[in-house]
Amino acid sequence: MPIVVNLDVMMAKRKISSGELAEKIGISPANLSILKTGKAKAIRFSTMEAICKALDCQPGDILEYQANQD
Amino acid sequence: MWNREKSIILSKLCVLLFMGLLAAVVVTAPWLTQWFVEFSQAGLAEKASYFMATIYVGSLPAAYLLYSLLKLLRQIEIGQVFTPKNVELLRRISWSCFVGAGMALISLLYYFPWFFLAVAAAFMGLIVRVVKNVVAQAVALKDEADYIV
Repeated sequence: MPIVVNLDVMMAKRKISSGELAEKIGISPANLSILKTGKAKAIRFSTMEAICKALDCQPGDILEYQANQD
Repeated sequence: MWNREKSIILSKLCVLLFMGLLAAVVVTAPWLTQWFVEFSQAGLAEKASYFMATIYVGSLPAAYLLYSLLKLLRQIEIGQVFTPKNVELLRRISWSCFVGAGMALISLLYYFPWFFLAVAAAFMGLIVRVVKNVVAQAVALKDEADYIV
């Protein structure tokens, strides 16, 4: 998929662990792992809002479009 | 109070009942056949062996169908409803019906009323096949829903 999830990059910048973020945004660590590894097929606005709030960032910091990816 | 668990138990009991019935038919096939050819009074005495062959060969897809049905019910019992395994089980059940229909079609060469069983079995197979297609679509939807975060 040409949409790349840069969640791990933002998490490293904010020095926050997966468990801590999962708890803050109210999703299971398994679902956060699906999102981090790029296996997710869609992301809810509510989840994106919670992530942006927890990491103090914009949706564009989490998602990136790369045309050369398949 | 009637609930989901009791409903599944009832379904499993019915499948087990049919399994027992099938086993009884297979074991008593020679006597059943003899009784039928005498009862029918249609000059079927020389065709008794054909009837027995149809019963014995037809019991194979019937047994496989019932076994698959029992496995499907076990899957539903443990909460595994929309899974690829269930789609495969439904596909097997559907093909068992079609195989049974094919055998009944061949058997109508010596006894025409088998035609009605063939049509009923093929119709049942068709219904199960449509259900299989629906469940396959539901599996795809569930798979997608599982990856929406």
